This record gives sequence, structure tokens and C-alpha cells, in this order.
Amino acid sequence: MFVLSFLARRLLQGFVIIFLVMFLIFTLLRVVPGDPVRLMAGGMAPEALIEQIATQMGLRDPILVQFGRYAAHVVQGDFGQSFVRPADGAATGGAAFNDASRSERAEVLTLVAQTAPRTFQLALTAILMALLISLPLGVAGGLYPGRWPDRLALYLGSIFVSLPNFWLGIVLILLLSVKLAWLPAIGYQGFAWTILPAFVLAIEMAPFMIRTLTVSVAQVMQEYFIAAGPVRGLSRSRVVLRHGLKNASVPLLNLLGVQFSMLLGGVLVVEYIFDYPGLGLLTINAVLQRDFPLIQGIAIITSAAFVLINIAVDLLATTIDPRLDY
Amino acid sequence: MEAPLLGVQGLNVDLALQSGRTRPILRDISFELPAKRTLGLIGASGAGKTVLAKALVNWIEQPLHITGGTIAWRGKDLLGDRQGFGRLRGSKIAYVGGNPAGTLDPTQTVGAQIVEKLLSVQPRTSRREAIEKAVDLLAAVRIPSPSQRFHEYPYQYSGGMMQRALIVDALISDPELLVADNVTQPLDVTVAAQILKLMRELTERFATAVVFVSSSLPVVADIADELLVLHEGRIVERQATRRLVSHPIHAYTQALIGELPTIWQGHGPAERPRGQTTEPLLSVSEVSKTYKVRKRDSFAGYNHVQAVRRANFDIFKGDNFGVVGESGCGKSSLMRLLTRLEPPDTGRIVFDGQDLATCGGSALQKLRRRLQLVLQDPFSSLPPRSPIGAIIEEPLRIHGLGGAKERRRQVRDVMGEVGLDATLIDELPAGLSAGQRQRVNVARAMILEPALLIMDETLSSLDQTEQTKLLNLFERLQAQHGFTYLFISHDLAMVRRVCSRIAVMYLGEIVELAANERLFFDPGHPYTKALLSAVPTLEERRYRPEDCLLEGEPPSPIDLPPGCSFASRCPSAFDRCRSQHPGLTARSSHDLAACFLVEPPRVAARETAGA
Repeated sequence: MFVLSFLARRLLQGFVIIFLVMFLIFTLLRVVPGDPVRLMAGGMAPEALIEQIATQMGLRDPILVQFGRYAAHVVQGDFGQSFVRPADGAATGGAAFNDASRSERAEVLTLVAQTAPRTFQLALTAILMALLISLPLGVAGGLYPGRWPDRLALYLGSIFVSLPNFWLGIVLILLLSVKLAWLPAIGYQGFAWTILPAFVLAIEMAPFMIRTLTVSVAQVMQEYFIAAGPVRGLSRSRVVLRHGLKNASVPLLNLLGVQFSMLLGGVLVVEYIFDYPGLGLLTINAVLQRDFPLIQGIAIITSAAFVLINIAVDLLATTIDPRLDY
Repeated sequence: MEAPLLGVQGLNVDLALQSGRTRPILRDISFELPAKRTLGLIGASGAGKTVLAKALVNWIEQPLHITGGTIAWRGKDLLGDRQGFGRLRGSKIAYVGGNPAGTLDPTQTVGAQIVEKLLSVQPRTSRREAIEKAVDLLAAVRIPSPSQRFHEYPYQYSGGMMQRALIVDALISDPELLVADNVTQPLDVTVAAQILKLMRELTERFATAVVFVSSSLPVVADIADELLVLHEGRIVERQATRRLVSHPIHAYTQALIGELPTIWQGHGPAERPRGQTTEPLLSVSEVSKTYKVRKRDSFAGYNHVQAVRRANFDIFKGDNFGVVGESGCGKSSLMRLLTRLEPPDTGRIVFDGQDLATCGGSALQKLRRRLQLVLQDPFSSLPPRSPIGAIIEEPLRIHGLGGAKERRRQVRDVMGEVGLDATLIDELPAGLSAGQRQRVNVARAMILEPALLIMDETLSSLDQTEQTKLLNLFERLQAQHGFTYLFISHDLAMVRRVCSRIAVMYLGEIVELAANERLFFDPGHPYTKALLSAVPTLEERRYRPEDCLLEGEPPSPIDLPPGCSFASRCPSAFDRCRSQHPGLTARSSHDLAACFLVEPPRVAARETAGA
């Protein structure tokens, strides 16, 4: 019964959060300067025409009215159409105000659905790589505090954290793609294109994971039950593997949840450098073009992902440590 | 002659200090323990008891070192064969410590971990046998519904229940030696008495030899055949238990026994005679507090924890009032209400003629000047980075009293009064002992010249010598300043010594309210009797645990059953106790108890009928 009541409560809270995000994004976007109609119609369009288009699109209604209309659509799964992007996926641009293809703007949902899986794939690969790097380093560092594994973890972590991701990305592209031609780098045509950006992200995340692991493992190893285990007759390796690591895993799990959510929200710099067609790239362009429906859509969908991931992480954490209660 | 089960010869253990020098912890420890015998090990804190207990289970870790001597198992040296020693642990030599809550992995069920241990030390046992054995033993230590409890997690066990489970964990591999290190220390007296009884039974049944370590002589004397007295790392005396108690030889043992507080010898402080017109300083009437705790397995449900239930009592000026009870009885919740850290749900707390519950803002601030609290934990109750003088001065600054110079002078005066050296005024509290820290706490509370000092377990973390000194200090301060004390404590011996009037709490309720002599010599409530029967003491007991206490632990304060809350553990409970709730009934003009067996005195019959 615990799981059901937990899910019911958390999903309800999640809806409230998503609603608030939706409201904030919506109102703030309309308060900041910059008229999307001016951008859509082009700088040369006469003022009267802009007012006419804006009124047609409902952009001159009170914000609350606009929000109500928008929310009603979102509930039905309709995130609206992009102001700017054409449905055929062609490049964006400042089309002229009398562009006849206005009705063929792309659906926000379609745009997100095209890019989100790429970002998801990138995020998952990055997390796995980061785990591969940080698990051995972090656990060894936590088991031998103050000794060389601990120092190795600390030094590597410090190096990783001070490598700027744009620099590492460019260097790796130059080295592995251009010089050695081992891995493709720009754009996306298959899984191979994910590896390099994922590695850059993994290096960026690993220091935090190493640190979290080192601290939590070292802390758990100080617990009385770890010392008492061998006295009760358990072997040391059993105490460490079955009891120590299990207890130390909850902080890492929480960190993974946060990092995964952040990756899903779009990794702007890395996607931009690798021209990786994910949510990040989509977001950058949407913001530059004042593409309100697209920005809103991305924000709402990623906040929903945040909420879901957090629920999953907390549920997983309670199965690891039954004392936890969210 | 056959070699004894355990033989320790000339054991030395040193502590390596950071300066590179070493400090001796144990010196020249030698003793033998034959099979099936129980050896008690007694000494003050810091005497090296726990180090010795750990040495017996190969648990000497950095920065401790064994620097000499032998530990032999059936004549075979163990210190030269650490691997062999390691294999004996958990199988032939079992250990139960004083940290029941922390001994098992919190993320796995108790049953699974006991089975894991048995399978580790006896790999040939099948899992099914192991589970059966564990459940059987859990039943043998009287854990209710053991096959269900088997699948519960450590946090779902109470302290006493966990200690039972750990005794199962220790004895499941049929060890020949059990090292019990301070096993009853974290437990309440009634629960500790049950655990002791259980250990006696089980070790007898399984023919286990026991090394029983404790800092409480009455507890050890209760269980051991023979006693070792440890003082500053050396064994100063070894005698059969009864002989040691009646004829201690070494001066340290004599002092130890002389220092033990007594309960039924001598007299406790009597209540001050007071005229009819005296107003109480603090009057508590019908005070209740219920906490809402979210229910774990529900969508939006709450559990109602009834922490304090309809408390009624008066404290008069110059009195020492005691509130006693075991953990979870609501003592500390009551303290939070009396100090107005929280308002009560219902009822009135009138202090100095003003109702604390409705008091707020500056009026409350003024009242607080006259009502101060001294806390239990000497370590976490002082800010580590403030000088001692500033800590003591702070209340004056909060209440805006005096100028800087004047305040400094007052701080010096108060420090002198509580026996703190004036040179400490600009020191940080880091170097202070527990006793000195409590003096700082007392100084901080009394610098405002309060009328009432609430002592919440103030002395429970101190050893006997230090307790005595502080109690003398309290007495002197009371004589000089006319303080009124409210002692909240679980220590009956301390309460017997200092309190003139005592309230006994059980599950949030005051079940008995009586003058000192009456409470200890003629208690009116069966729970008071049970408490008295379980106090560790060397004296002839007036009440025996066998007669006064049933097995089991207090029920949960959530969803209390109707009727008397003690009915489930009371040997004299009858049908009415389970359906009807007994209110406090007068036994004489001043003494009350909440039990149907109380017979109101004829003279006061009318008074009772009205209540």
C-alpha cells in the first residue's frame, strides 16, 4: 500500500509544481521586453499590421486570459504551434511578414518529440560513462580515507572539475575526429555521434559523483554496524559489499536524479559545440527567436520530466533504505 | 589440570597519542574464566572496561595497541594467531554491546541479518534451518509475534527489543563465551531488569560463560558469580560477588560502594509545611498535548501521539519537585510545555499568576526571565565557538540588563558561585569536562535570578561523584537564592535524594503524585512499584521484579487502548482496568494515584467524590 499512496501523493504534488512552472514561464515570457510578432513579421512590417497579427493571435488579451486559453489546450495535450519554425523542419529564419506559409508552422509537441529522444540518449550515455569513471574512484577513496586512493580521487576530481567543457569538447573533436578520425563529432546520424558529447558531459559530472561517493562511503564506514559486523562473525568483504555500499548508495542516487534531470533540461553548451540536435539546441534557438509556444512547451515538458525522475529516485531510495519517508 | 575456557595473562594495552607517545590503558590484566561461569567487570568510566571487553573479541583497533600479555582460549594462545581469533568471533565468542540501535544494518531486516550471521559462521547450516532457529530464539527472548518481527527492520524495534534481538544474534551460534559490554546502559530500568533476567536464563540454558561489563555495581552484582574491579587500567580486586559487596578490600572498591545512592535507607527531603493561603509558583491544570505525525502508509492520514494527557500538579516556592518516568513517557514534552517552547492543546499553565499559554511577546519574554531551563546534554548545549563568559552573559544581553562592565562583573560572580574558575571566562568550552559544562549551563540559567529552574535530565550524563557535587551545589544555591527546582529525570535514586514531591509519568499521564517518603515506601500505583522493583541497588529490595512487573514494553502512545494504560503490564490488572480509565484518586490529602485499587481514606471520601 505504501507504494500506491506514495505515488498518489507525489503525483498530485507534481501536478501542482508543473502548473506553477507553467504559470511562471508563461507570465514572465510576456513581461520581458521583445515582441514576438515583430520578430515573426520582420523589421519592415508596418505597425498596424503587427497590431493586427498580434490581436489575431490573442497576444493583446490580458495575460490571465491568454494563460487560461493556453492551459486549457495543454491539458488536452496541445502545446500549440511554434511561432517561427515551419512544419517541414526547414531552417528557421526571419521570414517576411507576408509569408504565405504561416499556417504550416510546426507543432511544439512534434518538435520536442523529435529532439527529446536524442537528448535522452545523450543523458543516459553520459550518466553511464560518469558512473563508470566515478564508481571505482569514489568507492576506493571512501574505503581508504587519507591514503592514496582517496588522494587519487581528489586529484582527478579537481582536474576534471577545472576542465571547461567547451575546451574539452573542441580538443576532443580536433583530436579524435579530425586528426585520428576515430569518432564522428558534428550533427547526428547514429549512436556514434553521441559518444563524444556524452564523454565531455561525463567528465563534467564525474567530480561531483566521486566526491559524493567518497564522502558517503567514508561516512558509512564509520558507522557502528560496520565495525560490529566482523565481531558478529561476518567477513570484512561481506560487510563492505553487502552493508557498506548499500548504505552509501542513497546520496549518490539523489545526485544522479538531479544530474539526469539537468541533462534532460538540455545541455546547451555541449549540444551547441557538437551541433547535437537535442533539446538544448532547440531551446537556444527558441529563446533567440522569442518563440513563446516552443519555450513554454519545452519548459513544461522538462519540468514534468524533473518531477517524474524525482519521484522515481525517491521511490528507489525508499526501497534501498526503508527508513526514508518522502 | 584442564586449561580454563579463557585465560588472560599480563595483558597490556596502550593508546598511541598524536605526539608519538603512548598512554597505558590496561596494565597487567590477568584472570581466568572457567566454562559456564559469569564474571562481572566493574569500574568507573575511563577505567578501561570496554577496552578489555573488546580485547576479548579481537576488536583492538588503531590507535590502541596490545603491547604485551596473552589471551588464551582453552590453553591456546590467540594473540599469536589473529586469524584463528577472528574465526572464533561470532561463533565461539559472542559479543553484545551497549549500542543496540546501531549494531545492525538499518537497511536490512533483523531476521535476514541474524540468518546471515549464522550462515557466515556455520556455512553448513541450511537457510531453512537458520530461519527456524532464529524465529525460535526470537520467541525465546519473548519478542512478540516473532515470525512477523523477523521481517521487520531495525528502526521498527524499540531499544529493549533490539537488545533482545542482539542477544539472539549472539547466542544463535551456540557460543561458549558471551562478552556483554554495558548491555543495559541505554535501556530504561524496567526494560533493563527484563534483559538481565533473560540473559541469566539463556546463558544458564545454553551453558554459556559470560564476561559482564558494566559501570553499575548493582547491575553486575545481580548477574555475576564473581567480580573484577578495574581502576585506572588495573585489576584492584577480585572476589566472589556477595563477599565483595559485604567486605570490599581495596580502598577504591570501598569508595565505590560507599558512593552508591541508597533508596530505602535514610530519609528523603520532606515537603515544606505551607499555609492554606500559599499560592503555587507554578500550577498545571488539565494540560494535554497531542502531536500529529504523518502516517507512513496512507495518502493524507495522521497518527495522533498523545504525548501529555491531562496533567495536573502544583509546585510551591522553595520546593524540589520531581517528574520521573521512562523514555517516551512524556517527560520532555511536558518540559517543552512548561517552558512555553510550545503551547499546550488544552489546559492552563499558570506561572507567577500568569497563564503561559495565552502569554506572548514581551510579557512572555519577561516571564522567561523568571523561569529557566538547564538541559541534559552538556556537549551540544553549549556553542563551541563562544567564550564561556559570553555564553553565561548572553541571557543578560537578551534581556537588556546592565552595562557591559556590570554584566562582566555579574558573570564573574555567578561563575564563582557555581564553582568555575574565573580564569575560564575567556576560554572556549572545548576543554571542559562534562561536569564543568553543566556548571556553565547552570550559571547561564541562574544569572537571571529566576524563580524556577527546570532541570531536564541535567545530571544523567555525569558520573556519581560529579552528580553528588552538583547536587550539593544546587542545595547551596537554593538556600542562598530561594530557587525552586523542577527535576525531570529517569533516575529514581537521584529523585529520592533531592525531591520532596514526585510525579510519576507513564505514557503521557501522571499516574502517581506523592511526597517522597510515601512514594518510596508505600507507592499507590503498580507502575511505581514496578519502577522501584527494577532500580539497580545493592539494598534489600522492598519490591521484587517477579511480583511487580510483567514482561513486555509500554504500548505505543498512538491509538492508546481504552482503560488504564498500564493494564497490559500490570500484574494486578482486572477486567475493569481494560475498559475504564482510572483517574487520579486521593489516598490522603496530598498523595494521589491513578489506580482502581487505591482505597480513598474515609476522611477524604467526600473530596474524592467531587474530583
